[in-house]
Amino acid sequence: MAALIRGLRADRLVRALGSVAIQMGRVPRGNGSSRGLHRALVLRLADDSHRDQTVPPPPHHTHFAEQSCASDASSQQEHGHCHASHQDQSGEQEEGYETEEQLEARILTAALEFVPQHGWTVEAIAAGAETLGLSAASAEMFNNGAGELVLHFVEECNAQLAKILAEQHNRVQLGQTEKKETAEFLRDAIETRLRMLIPYIDTWPQAMSLLLLPHNIPESLKHLSTLVDDIWYYAGDRSTDMNWYTRRAALTGIYNTTELVMLQDSSPDFKDTWTFLDNRIQDIVNMANTAKQMKSTGEAVVQGLMGVAVTMKNLTGLNQRR
Amino acid sequence: MRAAAGWVQRCGAARLSRPLRVGSVPGVLNQGAAWNSASRRRYGVLPRARDAEEKAVLDSMMRVDHAGEYGADRICAGQMAVLGRTQAGPLIQHMWEQEKLHLQKFNEILAEHRVRPTVMLPFWNVAGFVLGASTALLGKEGAMACTVAVEESISEHYNSQIRTLMEADPERYTDLLQLIKEFRDDELEHHDTGLEHDAESVPGYFLLKTVIQAGCKAAIYLSQRI
Repeated sequence: MAALIRGLRADRLVRALGSVAIQMGRVPRGNGSSRGLHRALVLRLADDSHRDQTVPPPPHHTHFAEQSCASDASSQQEHGHCHASHQDQSGEQEEGYETEEQLEARILTAALEFVPQHGWTVEAIAAGAETLGLSAASAEMFNNGAGELVLHFVEECNAQLAKILAEQHNRVQLGQTEKKETAEFLRDAIETRLRMLIPYIDTWPQAMSLLLLPHNIPESLKHLSTLVDDIWYYAGDRSTDMNWYTRRAALTGIYNTTELVMLQDSSPDFKDTWTFLDNRIQDIVNMANTAKQMKSTGEAVVQGLMGVAVTMKNLTGLNQRR
Repeated sequence: MRAAAGWVQRCGAARLSRPLRVGSVPGVLNQGAAWNSASRRRYGVLPRARDAEEKAVLDSMMRVDHAGEYGADRICAGQMAVLGRTQAGPLIQHMWEQEKLHLQKFNEILAEHRVRPTVMLPFWNVAGFVLGASTALLGKEGAMACTVAVEESISEHYNSQIRTLMEADPERYTDLLQLIKEFRDDELEHHDTGLEHDAESVPGYFLLKTVIQAGCKAAIYLSQRI
């Protein structure tokens, strides 16, 4: 039964890796095999370094896996599969093994250290890979290169913000902190998120231009919408009508414009940026209040008109039944 | 971590079976009697999604159901606007109350599970009201014919959702299935009520019904996607 489950998991992993391989496989076949070899080297390096630290998997499993690996030396998919089967067949020792996604994430996180020096480029990724003990050539594992580094960074920042907001939410639930006003909450959330850019602020224009490349736009938009959705959710928005859209659109606008202002801000600790943010948040609060007022005024006017109409009907005798 | 914080929404009578939670959360209070009867759930109607794919599917289902109930609410509003002061008024009012309860329930689900509502809501707002009002102008029979057509579409839609969920994993979606079955039964009851009150005697019944049902199918198609 356990073997069946492991087999199924391996199957899912194969399919996932297969789809990655299909995307990568648009490169002509000759390149593909050399890439495959590259990746094999990277993965073997990772494997070896881990295998040194952990208990080796049961001998007959390893033997079987290596046999199947050896027989399929040229296809990327099979290397991915081998890696997966290593992982799955030593189910209990999973701490020593990681998926390809986890390895990529580790490389990119390490690469962030080198961004001030190299900018958002493949060199930074290569430098990051070297700190992990991998060869610099493993940077070629990333098809999208610097774009992937930026997207990874954005994703990490969003995840961190979500964690902070959830913790805050917890504290409010437990009564340890006061609940913030919506405007203040939004302001603090955006400030927290933008402060994560401060260490990379010099190279951020380059990162933004990378995010605007056509093939990166879908994913960067997805990250942006997740960010805004998270902020509004923790701010207490539970709307299920057009408000859902208008609020998120407004916050997206605020976030983007504040980000741009931040790039050109030279005041100490970005004071001007936070002032700008304050003013923009105040704008939407005012707009919301105005909209509410207009609605109630409109309703009152309609009531008045109905009253006039009924009065006129009474006066002219139209209301009488005959 | 986020899961614990995020799912603290209260959902109607389930509160009775759950331990007291400290503090209160901004959320919609549902005291609807219709839902009290079936609640044993502790964690909400939808199961926690295992992966992005399941979340997308469940989201789409909840989105279209919410849009459907929203539209039904607006249709009833349109019918009441025209026929509210006639003999059919109380009957339509009764059906409207039930639709309102359904809408409230779906509002809660959308809020709790962070489902995006469909962009088409303003359209369904206007279209529903216009449909309800214009068919009601044909008299009580017209309003009943509209009800019959719409309720038939909706129950067919709910049935296909039930089939999908049963084929996928009945155990996992028990609560959701129970909810949809209950709503489908309510809609079928409205359908039968409409038939009882001379829906078929409106001139052009067949044409009217076909047109309305085509519109409903288009609405369902769109709401699932956008």
